[in-house]
Amino acid sequence: MTTLMGNRLLSALIASAALLATAGLAEAKTVIHMMHQGDPGWVKAYGDAARRFEEANPDVDVELIHAPHDAYNEKFSAAVMAKQLPDIMELDAPFLANYVWSGYLQPVKPLVDADLLEDMTESNISQGTYPIDKELYAIGLTDSSVVLYGNKKYLEAIGARIPKSVEDAWTREEFEGYLEKLSKLDGVKWPIDTFRGYGIKTEWITYAYGPLLESAGCDLIDRKTWTASGTLDGEACVKALTMMQDWVKKGWVVPTSSGTNQFYAEGQPAALAMGGHWFYAEAAAAMKDNIVVLPLPKIGEKGVSPNGTWIWGISATSENPEIAGKFLSFLLKDKEYREYAKTQSAYPGLKSFAADSPLYAEGGPLAVAFEQASKTAIARPPHPAYPTITSAFMQAVDKIFNGDDAQDALTAAAKKIDEDIEDNAGYPPFDEQQ
Amino acid sequence: MSDLALSQAAPLAKSRGNSKTGLRIVQSFSILLIALVMISPLFMLLIASLKDDRFQILADMGSFRAFWVSEPTLSNYKEIANFSGELAYGRYLFNSLAILVVTVISGLIVNSMAGFVLAWGSLRGKAILLALVVALYVIPQESIIMPLVVMMSRAGLTDTFAVQILPWVASPLYVFLFYQFFAQLPKELYEAAEMDGASAFRIYRSIYMPLSLPALATVSILMGIESWNQYLWPTLVTQTDYARPIAVAIATFFGQDSIYWDRAMAASVLMMIPVLILYLAFQRWFVSSFVGSAVKG
Repeated sequence: MTTLMGNRLLSALIASAALLATAGLAEAKTVIHMMHQGDPGWVKAYGDAARRFEEANPDVDVELIHAPHDAYNEKFSAAVMAKQLPDIMELDAPFLANYVWSGYLQPVKPLVDADLLEDMTESNISQGTYPIDKELYAIGLTDSSVVLYGNKKYLEAIGARIPKSVEDAWTREEFEGYLEKLSKLDGVKWPIDTFRGYGIKTEWITYAYGPLLESAGCDLIDRKTWTASGTLDGEACVKALTMMQDWVKKGWVVPTSSGTNQFYAEGQPAALAMGGHWFYAEAAAAMKDNIVVLPLPKIGEKGVSPNGTWIWGISATSENPEIAGKFLSFLLKDKEYREYAKTQSAYPGLKSFAADSPLYAEGGPLAVAFEQASKTAIARPPHPAYPTITSAFMQAVDKIFNGDDAQDALTAAAKKIDEDIEDNAGYPPFDEQQ
Repeated sequence: MSDLALSQAAPLAKSRGNSKTGLRIVQSFSILLIALVMISPLFMLLIASLKDDRFQILADMGSFRAFWVSEPTLSNYKEIANFSGELAYGRYLFNSLAILVVTVISGLIVNSMAGFVLAWGSLRGKAILLALVVALYVIPQESIIMPLVVMMSRAGLTDTFAVQILPWVASPLYVFLFYQFFAQLPKELYEAAEMDGASAFRIYRSIYMPLSLPALATVSILMGIESWNQYLWPTLVTQTDYARPIAVAIATFFGQDSIYWDRAMAASVLMMIPVLILYLAFQRWFVSSFVGSAVKG
């Protein structure tokens, strides 16, 4: 009996020691947190990649923090206030300047693999670079663009010229001429969908309409003096937005209330769609061969297209920046993650990913979208006041489309932006940049 | 009454009867129309949840095809019924239910006690306290949400069930609602029980609470709906699926580049069911209490 008791005691002691040892090992693990947004497909892709990384690096635990896309900025603000910034965070590229200026991010160049840095496209580098110190603060597998999607049948019916390259894009006269012809064509309810249905809660208006205005010689802010008055409410911008307002007044544009599916909904009531690269998947699924992808029109002398998407940065407060960089490098090179990105028609931000993406390769249906990145892409203003710039601009466009005077709405927006910059003492050292 | 008068009165009565029938038909038709308008989004939601092509759902929106499914499938429900992995919607549903049950039960206790004390307690400055409660009601939740996040984070409650329950248990609206209800009951009840030697708690528990079923039902439903529909708060204070409710999970289907309408619709149907059951179960008390206390929803 005593021996039995002794054996039991010994077994219990060994088991406890083993448990303690395991607990010790668990404690020795380095934990890194990564905050991201995205739909269930992306959530799974990140989760799987994290698991593969943990298998290859048993001493590291990657904890993923997910926030729905629409509430991501609020979640980010909460993390900042609670001083709980994750090691790695996903961020929308135009907000990078604000985050770096606020001290939330650190340069990623010393932390990620050198071959990844060499693999980045020019547009990808520009979306992750802070203009003051020219350092790279974020990196991504993907980028983005906006193109014109056309209903082949309708365009053939009006005898429209189909541009083959970015240089060949429609001029303003051609574009407006086609819109007018399409407005009179049987079966067409609206000549174009500019996706007003996305509303002003998203970045859409600044992201997609901004380039059209820039093509017309306008900009959201003077990028040398960083003042909006005189630029955003200048003659070029007023004329450009009055032009767009005119399209709305003539009934050429799908209204906000009609949603975002009029290009391919029953009867295909919209003939053109000015949509993001991601729109291709849903439109092509419904329209099959009746879809043609065109570069954005040249409203003025030169064509302009948008860029920038959700990219990855490493927080300045990270206690394990090297490991965060190691995981980021692993993620961006991960074959299965890239395969999933391809199924989502992701726009390549790395050259090696572009070479492996038939959708964007020469002859591919979205080749013209990729061509825009190197020839016409202009990033949204890389300034810490960007959150105010985009919000003021979107509200002004919304008012103008709803019938307000373009000059009045743009002057009010410019004033709001300049006030924010003034309230922040010019966001030094941006005030010295002039 | 002469024969002539009788012969004239008969068609008049008939015409009155006809006009009453006509009025009833108009009333019934109007009610039916309103009911159809109210129920059509729910019906569309149900139909869309039975379609497995998210692009087709989007293409059908805005036409009558949104109300018709030719090949119904439960594949979306099967997809979201997965209890494991990153997309643990069963877990999210359970989380929402757990948060709702605990919030409502503790809310009923805390708010009714506060209401009872304000109505019958012998507190100094009761009127001021009551005014403060009403004043607190007008402060929107959103305006205090960020400081609350910091407080909860400092208390180490991030990503827990407690963080989604504790801040919302006590509510000025429900305290006031209970106060209003208790104050309407006869004072003699309290005095008689007090003379019999019952303690304040005993009076509250054994006399006033059993008489407060309509108020309890109203508060249960309002708190339940509020808790069930919480979105911003759990988004800010939860990190993983451990305690995350279904409202946040559904928002995941609305991605940056694509929206999974098929699964979002199925998850929304599942999310709706418990609230409908709760409402149907307490409907009678809910309506009577709302009418009685003139609370605007």
